[in-house]
Amino acid sequence: MSSLVGFLSLVFAIGINFYLFLSRYIFKFKKQKFNLFIRLSSLLTLLSFFSLMYAYVVSDFSNYNVFQNSHSNKPLIYKISGTWGNHEGSMLLWLSILSIFSFFFSFTKNIDESFQRLTLIIQSLLHILFGLFIVFTSNPFLVNSILVNEGLGLNPILQDPGLAVHPPILYAGYVGYSIVFSIAIAGLFQNTDDEWLYVAKKWSLISWTFLTGGIALGSYWAYYELGWGGWWFWDPVENISLMPWIAGLALVHSLMMVRGEQAIKKWIVFLSILCFSLSVFGTFLVRSGILTSVHSFAADASRGIFILLIFFIVTGFGFLVFLLKEPKKSNALNLLFINKVSALVINNILMIIATLTILLGTIYPIIIEVLYNKRISVGGPYFNSTVIPIMIPGFLLMSVAPILSWQTNKINNSKKYVLAFIVLSVLVLIQSYFLDFNTWGFVGLLLGFWIILASIIAIFSSYKIKINIKFFKIINPHVAHIGVGIAIIGITCSSIFQNELDFNLNEGDKFIVNGKTVLFEKIETTNEINFQSLRGKFLFDIEKNRSKEIEAGKNYYPVSKMITSEAGILHQWNKDIYFILGDQKNNEWFVKVLINPFVSFIWLGVIIMMYSGLIAVSRR
Amino acid sequence: MNRIFILTPLIVLFVICIFSLVYLLSGKDPNKPPSALLNKDVPIFESSSLYNAKDIIKTKDIKNKKTLINFFASWCSPCKIEHPLFFEIRKKYPELYLLGFNHKDPPSDAKKYLKDDGNPYDFVGVDSDGLIALEFGVFGLPETYLINEDGKIIYKFMGPITIDILKNEIEPLL
Repeated sequence: MSSLVGFLSLVFAIGINFYLFLSRYIFKFKKQKFNLFIRLSSLLTLLSFFSLMYAYVVSDFSNYNVFQNSHSNKPLIYKISGTWGNHEGSMLLWLSILSIFSFFFSFTKNIDESFQRLTLIIQSLLHILFGLFIVFTSNPFLVNSILVNEGLGLNPILQDPGLAVHPPILYAGYVGYSIVFSIAIAGLFQNTDDEWLYVAKKWSLISWTFLTGGIALGSYWAYYELGWGGWWFWDPVENISLMPWIAGLALVHSLMMVRGEQAIKKWIVFLSILCFSLSVFGTFLVRSGILTSVHSFAADASRGIFILLIFFIVTGFGFLVFLLKEPKKSNALNLLFINKVSALVINNILMIIATLTILLGTIYPIIIEVLYNKRISVGGPYFNSTVIPIMIPGFLLMSVAPILSWQTNKINNSKKYVLAFIVLSVLVLIQSYFLDFNTWGFVGLLLGFWIILASIIAIFSSYKIKINIKFFKIINPHVAHIGVGIAIIGITCSSIFQNELDFNLNEGDKFIVNGKTVLFEKIETTNEINFQSLRGKFLFDIEKNRSKEIEAGKNYYPVSKMITSEAGILHQWNKDIYFILGDQKNNEWFVKVLINPFVSFIWLGVIIMMYSGLIAVSRR
Repeated sequence: MNRIFILTPLIVLFVICIFSLVYLLSGKDPNKPPSALLNKDVPIFESSSLYNAKDIIKTKDIKNKKTLINFFASWCSPCKIEHPLFFEIRKKYPELYLLGFNHKDPPSDAKKYLKDDGNPYDFVGVDSDGLIALEFGVFGLPETYLINEDGKIIYKFMGPITIDILKNEIEPLL
């Protein structure tokens, strides 16, 4: 029953969007009626999504999708997250978020009515494309032809609270760019005043903030769930999310800097189209099964071709409009050796090169396999040695960029900065020399600290310190950059100064980690509702009374017959001690301990960036 | 110059789409990566027969004969779909040794299933706790492995086999 409701409302919503699209040419109607229809289609899409969720919650195995991906003794939260833990359901989530964005956009005030309507019509077109994709290739409401009373389970690796919320947040980022795309296209068609730039800024900041949160959650999940001790693997799916993120960053910066220059406006339109194109391209790469990764969904070729077609139509349409309707007037940019505009241009060029480098690395295996029928994989070494050096000049520049002038080459208090930079370099050099010296470690630490220091100097020397909301809005760009600096320190320390220790242990053995004695207390196995768990219990720092208990082990999920590893992590402010329980051989357990310094800084930096994103939304 | 700059995205789009399309149409399926076990020795296993607990099969028992190993269960609906194909294989290749592993099934259900749908296997081994499947790296049921005379895994398929798979991928190896 719920499946029927879900399917019908999905189809009705697509129908309404057809009607709205045609309204541009055939049936004309008033603004109120138009907005009413947009909202109705959003509500119907949500109804469809919640019907599927209901089927998951009540374990309605007459729905084939629920049967394939759920199990009655799963905890409630994973029944709910099971709704988007599979290809069909997650596409429905994608469509639902698209319509939520349209819903909220229909309430936007202070913009030209016909411009708003055109934007929403483009959204309707996207809704139709993705809606048809779901109905014809990925219908989550299919009826199960076999009568069963139990389902096949959810991929156990996805049974994790962090991952339950990761897809909705990430999609809010990806799909949020649809509205930026629609705004840019509508802007090209109407070519009116610059009001649309402010609207676009708000929405692109919202999308970027969501995308940041989604990527960080996925990365944090990989850190504690995959049990490899790292948090970024240059997995194709990670790359796919990173591309619109970097392009989105360029977009946000351009939107904040634009002051009526035609060249930058043109560039903004280009980036807006690019961001959403990269989002759709990412969807294509993952859902067609062209790339394998931890995100593999069962795929078939027809799905891949359909979504490739959507990608082609959306991107082709976007760039074609861009080609035909480009703003003709052109006034020169006020480019100086170092002023705001030139910093912006450099920043954008670097980000686009970084995006293209990642794109090349991601699709290179496809090109090679088509041309030479060989399967290769492009991984960490390529990306680390290309993307990171490309970004370094940008990092150097971002520390001072917010205080650069529009008109002149002058930097206020430039002596202060030079002095600070020299002192800092010497300090970091000394610090690196006494710890084991590593070039990349030195560069990373210097950059991170430099960004933080320069931003703090800029705040103190350029503004009057006041504690009120307005002040926080003014210093927001510096705060965002401090977040980046903190994240860079975390990234550098955790990846370069990571320490790995291996042990073969019996229960009751003591061993030394980081100067502290650790007791391998015992191995425990228990039966949980939907899995069996095997845990090694460790007591960290047993010489003190306040010793900490760490559990590391594995879970075995009988329904899907999978084993997941559960790392035990002791979080301290300056390091994570990361325990992985390996296999048992000759009555000894293999235990790996990783010491990851300053990992918490990465998450702290990301939180600061997201905070800045939200503050910037409210700033005009 | 400006024109070229604006045309570039469209050209890149075309190139990417063409390569992707060729890739998709070429029928390559990266979702079925070659098993880590491919061309390796078959894992060591030991299992008792579903019908007689004293009747044991071990790895060395399948040496010197081509063997098709199929993991199945009565609760697995895709297994039901591929089941009739094993009778065809049986008929066409009487030399081939068909070994079924009954995965995590109550014996009574498994016996009823093989009674209702027929039993194409030469031997049905019990894998009640799923340990044998674990050794083989079974991802989900059904899964099928082809072992050659030297005891090496030469083919693996995840999911129900179909007539096409049988004709195009398995038969050339037999």
